[in-house]
Amino acid sequence: MTRHTGDDGDEASGSDGTERHGDARDERHGDTADERHSDTADERHSDTADGTRSRPGVPDLGRDERPAIFVPDDDEPEAEATGSGDGGASDPRTATDGGVESATGGSDSTDLDPDAYDPIDVFPEGDLDLRDGADSCYKCTSCDTSCPVAEVDDEFPGPKFQGPEQWRLKRKDDHDIDESITSCSNCMRCDDACPSSVPLSQMHNEARGQFVEAQMEKLSVEYVRNRILANYRTSAQLASMVPRLSSFAMNFGPARWAMDKVLGIPREREFPEFATQTFREWWRDRGGAQVENPDKRVAYFHGCYSNYNTPEVGKAMVRVYEHFGYEVMVPPQKCSGTPMFANGMLKDARRHAETNVENLVAAIGDGADVIASCTSCSMSLRQEYPELFDIHGIEDLSEHTFEALEYLRIHEDLDGALAESGGPDDEREFAYHAPCHARNQGLARQAVETFRDVDGVKLEDVGDSCSGISGTYGWKSEKYDKSMQIGEEMFEHMEHAEGDVGMTECPTCAMQMEHGTGYEIEHPLQLLEETVVA
Amino acid sequence: MDDQVDVVVVGGGSTGCGVIRDLARRGLDAVLVEKGNLTHGTTGRMHGLLHSGGRYAVSDQKSARECIEENRVLRDIAGHCVEETGGMFVKRPEDSEEYFQEKLEGCRACDIPAEVIDGEEARQREPYLARDVEKAIVVPDGAVDPFRLCVANAVDAREHGARVETHAAVTDVLVEDGEVVGVEIEHDSGPGKRVHREPGTTEEIYARYVVNATGAWAGQIGEMAGVDVEVRPSKGVMTVMNTRQVDTVINRCRPKGDADIVVPHETACILGTTDEEVDDPEDYPEEEWEVDLMIETLSELVPALKDARTLRSFWGVRPLYEPPGTGTDDPTDITRDYFLLDHAVRDDLPGMTSIVGGKLTTYRMMAESITDHVCEKLDHDADCDTADVPLPGSEDFSVLRDYMEEFGIRSPIGRRSAQRLGSRTDDVLSGTDPNPVVCECEGVTRAEVRNAIDEAGSDLNAVRIRTRASMGNCQGGFCTHRIASELAREYPGPVVRDAEDELYQERWKGQRHALWGRQLSQAMLNHLLHATTMNRDGDPATTDADVDFGAFDAGPDPATEPASGSGSDDSPAGATATDGGLDATGDPGATAGPDATDGGTDGDR
Repeated sequence: MTRHTGDDGDEASGSDGTERHGDARDERHGDTADERHSDTADERHSDTADGTRSRPGVPDLGRDERPAIFVPDDDEPEAEATGSGDGGASDPRTATDGGVESATGGSDSTDLDPDAYDPIDVFPEGDLDLRDGADSCYKCTSCDTSCPVAEVDDEFPGPKFQGPEQWRLKRKDDHDIDESITSCSNCMRCDDACPSSVPLSQMHNEARGQFVEAQMEKLSVEYVRNRILANYRTSAQLASMVPRLSSFAMNFGPARWAMDKVLGIPREREFPEFATQTFREWWRDRGGAQVENPDKRVAYFHGCYSNYNTPEVGKAMVRVYEHFGYEVMVPPQKCSGTPMFANGMLKDARRHAETNVENLVAAIGDGADVIASCTSCSMSLRQEYPELFDIHGIEDLSEHTFEALEYLRIHEDLDGALAESGGPDDEREFAYHAPCHARNQGLARQAVETFRDVDGVKLEDVGDSCSGISGTYGWKSEKYDKSMQIGEEMFEHMEHAEGDVGMTECPTCAMQMEHGTGYEIEHPLQLLEETVVA
Repeated sequence: MDDQVDVVVVGGGSTGCGVIRDLARRGLDAVLVEKGNLTHGTTGRMHGLLHSGGRYAVSDQKSARECIEENRVLRDIAGHCVEETGGMFVKRPEDSEEYFQEKLEGCRACDIPAEVIDGEEARQREPYLARDVEKAIVVPDGAVDPFRLCVANAVDAREHGARVETHAAVTDVLVEDGEVVGVEIEHDSGPGKRVHREPGTTEEIYARYVVNATGAWAGQIGEMAGVDVEVRPSKGVMTVMNTRQVDTVINRCRPKGDADIVVPHETACILGTTDEEVDDPEDYPEEEWEVDLMIETLSELVPALKDARTLRSFWGVRPLYEPPGTGTDDPTDITRDYFLLDHAVRDDLPGMTSIVGGKLTTYRMMAESITDHVCEKLDHDADCDTADVPLPGSEDFSVLRDYMEEFGIRSPIGRRSAQRLGSRTDDVLSGTDPNPVVCECEGVTRAEVRNAIDEAGSDLNAVRIRTRASMGNCQGGFCTHRIASELAREYPGPVVRDAEDELYQERWKGQRHALWGRQLSQAMLNHLLHATTMNRDGDPATTDADVDFGAFDAGPDPATEPASGSGSDDSPAGATATDGGLDATGDPGATAGPDATDGGTDGDR
């Protein structure tokens, strides 16, 4: 098996497992050595003909890793370690994505059927042409009426304008995207609302990226602030080196006043505390996976927040999954990109995505499915990655990514396990909020459904409103009031709910819930740990 | 005849508008009469190609040379109507190499700048081109908006003293003593601006000379004067795509054939076309196979067209003419050149000349030559300056300003408005505050709509051609009522409703040919919104029907219901409101009176 341990930078690889098992996974990763080299998902991740495990997607190092101004990135050790690793890079097929036909054709796959190619990503500069997406819009305005920002911000013209209308009005050389695109919080509710599958969030992401790239002053306070917010991982990593000091300093009154004035980070908000031991440190210290099972493997995408701020969520994930007999892998990883998309920092997002895709695709090659405990992370890997980037294996990653609770509900008898557990020791009552990004993945009801029949647990859904923070949106001074206005409905419903502990899958929703109500917030995995594992 | 004018021009297409501008600028007293809106006939039904001449560089080099010459002129004088897209003649593997070379040599022989690029380069410029396109000749084709072009000509003519009457059909050509002396017209409403439900009048306009610029309809006017004009109308279909698959004009490089051009036009692409002779320019079949042919054949050049959304299709009728006795069978072989038919010489009927044939790109040149001809007849000595003086809207044309900041509109809206309005942008956009977007698809604001209403009366199709409002992907579903409500400030309810219906019907006419896939869904949503939500299919206000309000439940009986306060109020209030609506609009003539008088002096454009 392959065991990933240590902090992001370290990756130690054991022997490769060769056995396969499991129903669905069997078919997905069955031995396809005899099949022709096609671009199907299966083939790229399977054993090579001589029986040794290939390491698909594992790295051609240093590609596109020019450090950006505010991103003193930390990938060097990891990159070296992987590169000098077990020969993954020696397989020519896996070295780069250039060697294999990309899933979407890519810009230089000239031999494709002229009728079948996807023209969206053929523009040489890497910009997407999404005018075509306007074809699906009937102007029905469902997106606008479901937009939480448009509801409180009269200046925001809404997703229909930002998406299909603005794209349709574009000519090839036009580069002026309306500034209002920066007011979209990227909650992606419009995607969910659209009856006609207009790729709204993709349009918004691309337009926002083009706006930031071409029109935003790179030395402006707004850009710098957004860049810092988008690259939370970088700040969090630095802060985590001295967690106690950071937690104090970040919330130190005069410092917050200065941040508000200078950077536009609202002083009303409290910075989350940094854990004294990150998830990855804990994982390394415990010696990595405690369960080895080549038949049931998951690769955990913990994301930044579970690593630096709430390692208890990550620990709960590991313990619950190990309880069900899974071998947990923790591959090297960076930010999922969600805050970067929301701030139009597509280059940053792409750089991080390359690392994530390479390592997670390798894990998929080892028989794992990818599990995230943050619904925005899983959303990003599933939807935004393939919509915005053309990286080898990105479609496979999309198909193999699941949210942590969702995956257990698919593959395990959670109801049975919960019934057997007899519930938590003490009665627990929660006010549960489903994050917008969970809603988009069809997961809005999963926590309520999981726990509704469990003795001693009362979970009350506080409704379908948006929490209002939308990642970094609520972390901007000029958006703070609107963020709180959007959250008002949720706060009220939380107050009315019987429980006085909040629950949600999303770390920033959790911040907002705590900020608005003072409640302590838990992740469903923590309750699952408390009931099933205990 | 005290009220005799110098010239009457019949026909408000590109030729007629060009002629009236030229006549007026040369100091002649002229009237333009058009039976519909400006561009109502063939001009409004073309694909908007500003020819480089490349299309005629092999078959008709005289026309090709005229095209490139006028192409350059229009870029100068009509910048706000022209988009300099550039064009390509692309060669697929099955297309003849010999013809490709002929085309290239032809372009060079006609002084049309032409450059050959390979398939790779062509796809760099136009990524949606088919991957087996081998190479292309790049030529300075462009896109031109025929609506704005004609309106700008008419505006300039009016500023120089001409009178422009639309919705004024010629009912007779007046012939006295063997000479044409004028025309009799029937005003649909007016004279002056068109206002629905205003009674029409008949008017005789005496003139020293009559120009028949009715294109495919020239034979009908000729008949009224008792002469034969053998126009051979030939229909062609054009299909409008929802988005721009290409940003340059794409021509197929082969001798001739149907469906060989894609023209980027404003927010859309227009596919063209066919060439088939018809008997009557107003009555010919519009057939489904013609639309299918466009999409299928042009998908060979741009595969994305196959799955892309089609908004509508329309047919235009070319005013082809050939001198008697030429006897060409195939309409595609008939020359695209234009002809002046002086009926004094030809039919011994002085006082009238017909102009037939030609194409939009050379409209100004045609206008110049017929104006020269008229001036000669009238012994009027004046030079033509239409090639040098910019049209209204194209003076000091610059779109590089930040209209969003200045007028508080979103940047893409500001950009599109400025592209349409040119140098009129400031005047038009600064007048209206607040200035919401009325047509979302095309980014048309209230200010632009009101400005067009000021010019066009209650005719919303005239507003449409000036602004593009309702020409986007909802085809009026979400904006006809908004546009109509701008009318309601000046006009009574019935006029507004008629105008709204007329625009909605016009939008439907073209959509009928796109009822599959996504446009079918759009059309159904439009229908449900208008028929159900707005009750426009059975609104008593529009049907003039008597409504038996007594048959409705009057609500709870105040006598028997204890909590009857609201009940007793409800029933009379409801009835009053509905009746009131009818009453208030019962006498449209009175309300519209002042406007009509204004219109009379103003002229309807």
